[in-house]
Amino acid sequence: MLTIRENLLETMKGGNPDRFVKQYEFIDLIMEVPLGVEFNYGQTWKDHWGITWQWPEGQLGMFPVHHDGLAVIQDITEWKKTVTKPVIETSDEAWAPALAHANAVDRKEKFATVFYAPGIFEMTHHLMGMENALMALYEEPEAMQELIDYLTEYELEFAAVMVDKLHPEAILHHDDWGSQISSFVSPDMFEEFFLPAYKKIYKFYKDNGVELIIHHSDSYAANLVPYMIEAGIDIWQGVMNTNNIPELVEKYGEKITFMGGLHSGTVDYPSWEKDVVKKQVEETCKANGHKYFIPCQTSGLPIENFEGVIDYIDECIDEMSKELF
Amino acid sequence: MSKIEDVKVLVETGKSKKVAAAVQEALDAGDKAQDILDAMIASMGVVGDKFSAGEIFVPEMLIAAKAMSKGVEVLKPVMAGDGSSSLGTCIMGTVAGDLHDIGKNLVVMMLESAGFDMVDLGVDVSADKFVDAVKENNNVVLVACSGLLTTTMPALKEAVQTIKAAYPGMKVIVGGAPVTQEYANEIGADGYAPDAGSSASKAKEIICA
Repeated sequence: MLTIRENLLETMKGGNPDRFVKQYEFIDLIMEVPLGVEFNYGQTWKDHWGITWQWPEGQLGMFPVHHDGLAVIQDITEWKKTVTKPVIETSDEAWAPALAHANAVDRKEKFATVFYAPGIFEMTHHLMGMENALMALYEEPEAMQELIDYLTEYELEFAAVMVDKLHPEAILHHDDWGSQISSFVSPDMFEEFFLPAYKKIYKFYKDNGVELIIHHSDSYAANLVPYMIEAGIDIWQGVMNTNNIPELVEKYGEKITFMGGLHSGTVDYPSWEKDVVKKQVEETCKANGHKYFIPCQTSGLPIENFEGVIDYIDECIDEMSKELF
Repeated sequence: MSKIEDVKVLVETGKSKKVAAAVQEALDAGDKAQDILDAMIASMGVVGDKFSAGEIFVPEMLIAAKAMSKGVEVLKPVMAGDGSSSLGTCIMGTVAGDLHDIGKNLVVMMLESAGFDMVDLGVDVSADKFVDAVKENNNVVLVACSGLLTTTMPALKEAVQTIKAAYPGMKVIVGGAPVTQEYANEIGADGYAPDAGSSASKAKEIICA
């Protein structure tokens, strides 16, 4: 029997895995990284960029707030007046919990994986609101390019500290690039504004010992896959069925692995049902196969909203492995 | 190319800084305000169709809607008091428990561009608030309810049924990622649009039915 790590690598190279990879089983995620990102259920707060967030009780996630003058950038041409890079924690004390976790990872079985969010695209709309960010790409492209360069610079500075402190083997990097049915921007616009940023960021990680780039975007983004490959992404996590996964696997599998196929909204809900989950796991495993594909919830973290879902999905994937291997 | 054709092209390509002047030129050349408005509405129809077909993306739709609003600003004083251009009032909101507003905002823009007077209630809108808004606004012909989360689909159902109970003849359109035509039928909505691009034509179809 292959180790978890070996099984993943066989899956990614289209070799001979001996079972399906079970969701996030191959990463040991170091969430203790002092990113400055907060998750404050039931509260309203400002983050280290000055972005106001709300996570109302009863909601599954938090939202940036832009109304009533709360957006950090009111005028993109004057972004330099209001956007300042946060101070990056460099003290051993701040990194101690993450380092302890990194040192405890069984690297024979799992990849020591750091987490980074939000990515460049999300940062642009967190700072000024989605509509303004998207329109600014047309109306003030030079200012947007400058802002993107500045955000990229911050990410690279943070990455330098993180690789120095933790020597991670993988990164799970969030940046949602689309809705369920389309990418937010056209491929041409993505190539112009965001691809150069990601090529720099992911090259830096690869040049500094990070073997696996896992990019999360729970969306449609099939039209961006060539750019994902060019940027150095090894695994696109969050791929939805609206993308025609079998076609993507066939066309691009040798260069990138697709992880998803189980829409969190349809498996992880308050009164989730085993029959529904089992059927969806069966469908995704049978439709997408075991080469270049990892059955997984589209959710960007190995965390369930409603108790028992993750374990049950894993159980169903095990059953599929027995049946299909 | 006629002045109206210029306006159409500028709206479709989202040239918001040039539309106002082009609309004024069309008026100066003797084109009727209503004809210019109809031309811009038609352009937005093309934009919506292209979005639905995946030929253009959200930024292109946003700048086209912005361009149209710049053109409408020029027409407004000319058309003041002429209610014939309005399709009626549409109340729109994201249902209770759901804070997603991007898709809802896009639909507001597209419906406005199609000729509806929009009342945007924002996000996390209770069923009763939709009903109150119908009561408080004039000439309401349509209520549009958006929901992005699977977990808030029951709130969508409650909104539709509460509105229908209070105003049995009121037309209600629904949309959002987890919503399907089947679900729209099941909860008693009059229509469903799978994306912002197709929302305007669907809304017009519903109010004419």
